[in-house]
Amino acid sequence: MFKRILPTLSGLAALLIATAVSAADPIKIGFSHSKTGIFAAAATSQLQSYELWREQMNALGGLDVAGTKRKIEFVHYDDQSNSGKAVQIYEKLITNDKVDLLLAPWGTSLHFAIVGVISRYKFPVIGNTAASVQLRDLKAGNIWFPTSLFPDRQSVELAKLLKKQGVTSAALITNQLPYTQENKKFVVPALKQAGIKLLVNEDYPPNVKDMTALLTKVKKAKPEAVLAYTYPGDAVLYVKGAREVGLNAATQVVLLGPQYDFFAKIFGPTRNGLVTMGHWTPLRKDWPTAKVFFDDFKARWKTNADYLDAPLAYMSVQILQQAVAKAGLDKSKLRQVISSTTFKSINGPVRFKGVENIALPTMISQIQNGQQHIVWPPDQATSKIIAKPAWK
Amino acid sequence: MDDLLSGQLVVATLVLGVIYGLVALGLNLIYGTMRLLNVAHGEILMLGGYLSYWLFTLIGIGPLYSMFVATALAAALGVFVYHFLCRRVLTASKLVEQIEANSLLLLFGVSIILQNVIALSFTSTARAYAYLDQIIHVGTFQVTANRLAVLAIGLTVCVTCVLYFRASMTGLAIRALIQRPDAAALVGINIERVRLISFSLGFGIAGLAGGLISMLEQISPFMGFPFTIAAFVVIILGGLGNLYGGLAGAFVLAIIEVYGVAFTSASMRSILIYGVFIGILVWRPHGLFGLRGAAR
Repeated sequence: MFKRILPTLSGLAALLIATAVSAADPIKIGFSHSKTGIFAAAATSQLQSYELWREQMNALGGLDVAGTKRKIEFVHYDDQSNSGKAVQIYEKLITNDKVDLLLAPWGTSLHFAIVGVISRYKFPVIGNTAASVQLRDLKAGNIWFPTSLFPDRQSVELAKLLKKQGVTSAALITNQLPYTQENKKFVVPALKQAGIKLLVNEDYPPNVKDMTALLTKVKKAKPEAVLAYTYPGDAVLYVKGAREVGLNAATQVVLLGPQYDFFAKIFGPTRNGLVTMGHWTPLRKDWPTAKVFFDDFKARWKTNADYLDAPLAYMSVQILQQAVAKAGLDKSKLRQVISSTTFKSINGPVRFKGVENIALPTMISQIQNGQQHIVWPPDQATSKIIAKPAWK
Repeated sequence: MDDLLSGQLVVATLVLGVIYGLVALGLNLIYGTMRLLNVAHGEILMLGGYLSYWLFTLIGIGPLYSMFVATALAAALGVFVYHFLCRRVLTASKLVEQIEANSLLLLFGVSIILQNVIALSFTSTARAYAYLDQIIHVGTFQVTANRLAVLAIGLTVCVTCVLYFRASMTGLAIRALIQRPDAAALVGINIERVRLISFSLGFGIAGLAGGLISMLEQISPFMGFPFTIAAFVVIILGGLGNLYGGLAGAFVLAIIEVYGVAFTSASMRSILIYGVFIGILVWRPHGLFGLRGAAR
């Protein structure tokens, strides 16, 4: 009797096992998203990169979790650009929604906010759109930053670039928000060190509506370089104002703004020659997947990816993807793999030392012929820096 | 002294003053005639901005033309909001304080809904376009053509509104309703009709302002709130419910903003604006041109 039913039982067991593997539960990945509030306008491309990655993974059968393919399901909530809300959401994602993995929220302040909760639950998160020295110096063991745009490193490189350009005087205008202020804190001594005289050094509030008076002052001072430490909204006011008052310094650095697609749509060729922050471009031939990402993003969202947040967000999920393939979902294994592996990404190799990506040098970019080129340091450059043509 | 006479700064002040004036005019009209605190005013402006953006980017209709559509649609939305939401608040509330409190909550809800509807429909991504962005040289200074256009249109609208309030029967009725609501009813003014006209006119002017502003800066679903705050500062500065006072308040605010930055520092902007604002309210609690008790 037993001998007779044995083959049937074996077949049934094999079928059950096969079914269990192919129809593994979807993996739940949680994050908060600034759908409303002051970061909403800037945070969209991060979500678009996350969604693009999820669709790509699911089309390939799912995320490889230590050998098992599992479809990805996102669980995300609007944090209203509010740090307190983000903390609550991450706590809920971990304890109530019981997500398997977490992705980062948008921006430095929200990354900062969630460090406490992810440390408490020892939940590893790959950060993306954040680069604060203060945040880095926390040395939190559960968050890592793929970017190299930390203000201290960036300021030193910018001062070197300006010195190489022969700049001897500059004007600095700075938005009073945290990231730009942190950059100001480091660039002032860096300029001094490089022998560049600061002729104007003024802050302006984030809700500025007109920059004419400030830019008239800057023009009067006749600096060889202007450093406009803007956020995207006031970057528009800066360019419109500088153009109107005829502020034609040959080097004009606009910190946040020129990287975004909306900026390109307003200014078109007018933005050529603006120097900006950024360590990614689809033009680098040695990062072959960069162009693929740029094209995929455009095909999916019918808009160009920005050169900052979209690639950073995508890099972070690429890192997570490779780490999970190796370590599965065990948090301590994941932490160990993230800390010790060299990952492939659309921005070249990624290797963490502490919380920082030490494989990616700090770079500075410039808009040339409508594209964002890396112009500094020379060994990373896709093009040589050019003097900014006069505004037309 | 050079700075004071600089054409660049004079134009910047006038453009900013006209923008603040337009935004405040609609808000003041609605508050003055009905005591409704329209905290969704900035969102109506945002809708005007989006309409102009889409009409320009999709079918090439520039904001100089689409502003008429923006004004008409915003005014139509005003009629809808008045009929289905605000009239109920006006009839159900007996005291001015009650009207103010209820309208504040109700229109706050409207503002959140409008922000989210636009964010869901078009994402939160900032959008902008270039229109009339050539530089025009005027004597010793230069100005972008779209700023001159905003200045010319804004001034025309403000002057037309002033003439309308002074010379037309409906305009006089609006002013009467602002100054003496009870007496206005006694002399036979159709209160309901005047309220409806004021409400839709207030929305219409906000829609127009949004269309004009979309030429100068980027738009997003959340762009309205700072304008609502600025408009409240302006109308409180000028005197709540005082239409001419509001326009004067707009230019006072613009002067503080532009010349304050020119003579001190850009970081002083908010301190100067709110310092002067508090100072004026201490000196004249009903605003620069507000009359004690006139609005009640």
